Amino acid sequence: MRKLYGTALAAVMASAVLLTAGCGQGLLGGDDAGSGDKKDEPIVLGMLIPQSGSEAAIGPYMSNAAQLAVDEINAKGGVLGRKLELKTADDACDPQTAAAGANKLVTAGIHVSIGGYCSGATLPTLPIFAKTDIPMIIPAANSQELVDQKLKNVFLINGTGSQQAGAAAAWMTKEGATKVALMHDNTSYSKDIALRTQTLLDEPGGPETAILEAVTPKESDYSANITKVLAKKPDYVYWTGYFQEGGLIARQLRQAGYKGKIMVGDGSVSPKLIEIAGAEAATGVYATMTQTPDTLQGAESWIANYKQKFGADPGPYSNQAYDAVRLAAEAVTKAGGTDGQKVISALEGIDGFSMFSGPLKFTPEHTLSTGGFQILVVKDGKFVLQDALQ
Amino acid sequence: MTATVPQGTPPGAPSSARPRGAGPRSIASRLMDNRWAGLVGLAVALLAPFVNATPYALSVMTSAAIFVMLAAGLNIVVGYCGLLDLGYAAFFAVGAYTSGVLSTRFDLPLVATLPAVLVVTVLAGLIIGAPTLRLRSDYLAIVTLGFGEIIRVTANNLDVTGGPSGIYGIPGLTGGPVSMYYVTVLVVAVAVVGAARLGRSRLGRAWRFVREDEDAAEAMGVHTYKIKMAAYVAGAIWGGLAGVLFAAHLSAISPGSFTFLQSALVLMAVVLGGMGSIRGVVVGAVIISVLPELLRDLADYRFLAFGVLLITVMLVRPQGLWPARSREVAQ
Amino acid sequence: MSQLVWNGLFVGSFYALVALGYSMVYGIIKLLNFAHGDLYMLGAFIGFAVLGAAGGVSAAMALPLLLAVLVLTMGVTGLAGVLLERVAYRRLRGAPRLSLLITAVGASFALEYGMRAAAGADPRVYPVRLGGTSVEVLGARITLQQLALVAVAVVLMLGLNLLVTRSREGRAMRAVALDPKAAALMGIDVDAVISRTFFLGSALAGAAGVMAGAHYGKIDFMMGFLIGLKAFTAAVIGGIGNIPGTMLGGLLLGLLESFGTFWLGGEWRDVFAFGVLILFLTVRPTGLLGERVTERV
Repeated sequence: MRKLYGTALAAVMASAVLLTAGCGQGLLGGDDAGSGDKKDEPIVLGMLIPQSGSEAAIGPYMSNAAQLAVDEINAKGGVLGRKLELKTADDACDPQTAAAGANKLVTAGIHVSIGGYCSGATLPTLPIFAKTDIPMIIPAANSQELVDQKLKNVFLINGTGSQQAGAAAAWMTKEGATKVALMHDNTSYSKDIALRTQTLLDEPGGPETAILEAVTPKESDYSANITKVLAKKPDYVYWTGYFQEGGLIARQLRQAGYKGKIMVGDGSVSPKLIEIAGAEAATGVYATMTQTPDTLQGAESWIANYKQKFGADPGPYSNQAYDAVRLAAEAVTKAGGTDGQKVISALEGIDGFSMFSGPLKFTPEHTLSTGGFQILVVKDGKFVLQDALQ
Repeated sequence: MTATVPQGTPPGAPSSARPRGAGPRSIASRLMDNRWAGLVGLAVALLAPFVNATPYALSVMTSAAIFVMLAAGLNIVVGYCGLLDLGYAAFFAVGAYTSGVLSTRFDLPLVATLPAVLVVTVLAGLIIGAPTLRLRSDYLAIVTLGFGEIIRVTANNLDVTGGPSGIYGIPGLTGGPVSMYYVTVLVVAVAVVGAARLGRSRLGRAWRFVREDEDAAEAMGVHTYKIKMAAYVAGAIWGGLAGVLFAAHLSAISPGSFTFLQSALVLMAVVLGGMGSIRGVVVGAVIISVLPELLRDLADYRFLAFGVLLITVMLVRPQGLWPARSREVAQ
Repeated sequence: MSQLVWNGLFVGSFYALVALGYSMVYGIIKLLNFAHGDLYMLGAFIGFAVLGAAGGVSAAMALPLLLAVLVLTMGVTGLAGVLLERVAYRRLRGAPRLSLLITAVGASFALEYGMRAAAGADPRVYPVRLGGTSVEVLGARITLQQLALVAVAVVLMLGLNLLVTRSREGRAMRAVALDPKAAALMGIDVDAVISRTFFLGSALAGAAGVMAGAHYGKIDFMMGFLIGLKAFTAAVIGGIGNIPGTMLGGLLLGLLESFGTFWLGGEWRDVFAFGVLILFLTVRPTGLLGERVTERV
């Protein structure tokens, strides 16, 4: 019996300690967290990005660029006289980690969410932010499913898969391609572009799809896939995945004796692709891409700033992340405060805000009204503009 | 004769841990043996939202509770029966996908999908178990790993499972995060007690017999194949039901949640806590699921710290944090 | 068809090199060393650092330079493996087997994310690359450099096999694998033998890492994870603990993947490879060349 009392006592004491430590965040503590919209406090932007796991390489590109924008805006006096503050959280490209991270950001009292890279990990965070009326400006994730949820707070500033597929199909038709091999990495982003391109190519006239091939990402050897693709004798290969594999695939295609043309999607537009493929294999590779720092007039200084600050080149989605911060600042300014509903209305009302991807105006679905996709080509070790597809 | 004395402990030698039950027992070990420990744990779980009910805390705690259920299920397979399963996430996936697909396609409440989930997970357990359970343990490990990957890749490739982006808009079990947390805790508590009871039953004794010496068990008339299959199917049911809770908690599932890493983490929880010890496993599961969250602020160094901590803990306490103390004579 | 066979054999020889370390370590202390794939990653990065320190070289010197780097990296990675065993595994040798497994998973995390902290998450590109003049052999396109890499792999594996079967050192290893207690009683320094086994296994993984870096060009901190799983699979197919079996297992897995991709498409490749593996193991539960052993608990 003594044992029982001892344990019960310990339990009571433990819960007492826990209770006092909690300081009103508990069920009985009332809701005093996250409701502050005080004039002197910073406006907090929350960013969910992969910092661990398979996509960990992408996280810093996005958070660095966002931080750059935050610092620039703060140097100019902030927004409505308040400083901007960036809080990042890891989503590990995994739904469960992402949900916990989103909840953490909500609890930390963020006003606008400017993250979201993996569509699969971003989906479960939508209802979490929606419930608390936090506007989401999603810089990278662009799966149709994000739109299909029809949530008022969700805005996509990356071109959608169908816009990119349209640009790809238009360019390949223009080039007079006949047999196209579509290669994707079986992630939702990449597969979506490949399937939409296939649908467009299936229409009569123009090139036809010779093969739709999926590869396993994060590997080094794609020769088996390439052998299969080349057996269909395509004259155009379109890779819709990321640059890590894209560089290897371009190189291995050439090593396997492929003489036709190669095109890659926007996830592959990175100086690293050229480095991985090697200058020889990369030269002449086309890409479907929204306007990038490289192809924009006057963006050289932006790249230089980024490089100076972080000691590395910007990468995929750096410019979208940068724009997401600027757009959030613009919307908060227009709304005159951080009230979620007002910021959402302000975002809906934005017309002609200048971004890397061109002047911004959202469709009723909260996607970009113009994808602004253009065709780049690798020349002298750099991606340069080939055709603006106007 | 000048014998060369080998340095260190040769492999296979008995562990140098102090003999159990000898010497004065520390307060810690008295507390550990306390039969009320489980109730105290449950009380802490039930009281926790009164301390911190932020959405973040609730989300982490709900995930932790689901993880406890997974660990309790895997403990039946690995801890009680001694079958090394490296693909446990397969059952988790089967449960989550079955309930997710049925509830979104046919507009069913999640509870209504439970019978189907049970049938499908039992079937999955039988299908995966049938060819694998005759293998010796290292081969069993690789085959279960293979099945885990097969299930995940299949979910990634099929249209009915939503392909790589998975299924979203799964209805919750309850209205809000607080009630969801309590439902989860109660279900998990029942599951944990159930697993413990199973471990003490006649079947549980047979499992341990198979674990300790399969040949002897066979010779004593235990149908080892059937017994192992029973452990496997029980593990599958626990995993599948945890999958349903998972789907309800997150409202969206995708193949990314059911990777090999997930299986490895559940196994880590079981071993860290102490194989075969239900209390240890619960503690291990809470640590494995909450620790990365506590380390979240380390950002880039999060998993480095996690790895180093795991090594340190195992070096200090190789038998697990809270090892099983069987009422039978310890080996 | 012959192209598929060649592709499979080429990838398979990488699997085999990595799998050998798995297999040897398993054979001697019954540990599934999950950090083994990360030693491959470590080797690739060490080679990268050495090459960077060596500075620029002309293309003509690429192959001899790479060989020198290869040998150096094998030494350093081997020592890293010894250190890993010393720090993380040795004290646990008498502990339950699965505790060691957890330590190995912990070591894997620590190596991966330690490298990430040291070198960043961004993939790195090898400064010296093996280019490709290709020749046609029986209808398959093969580059000379690929042939050179396979030759290096074969030499390493044959050397290992000789070492294990013919040398005094190899006999000690086999003795420890068979019965550590008896080996210790016979005057074999068990700890030293285990250290040497780790050295050899890790050195082979390091060699594979440098070769992958030089051939494919891209290295990153997660590169060891997938190949670790694949190598484990290969080792089991061949008969874990058995050296020629492991080599065969690696080649077989490479072939399975190559043909799986061709017949069923890349997205079903792993399902095919694992499916065949499961079928195979149900028919022949000890792997290709594994012996039937009664399990001791």
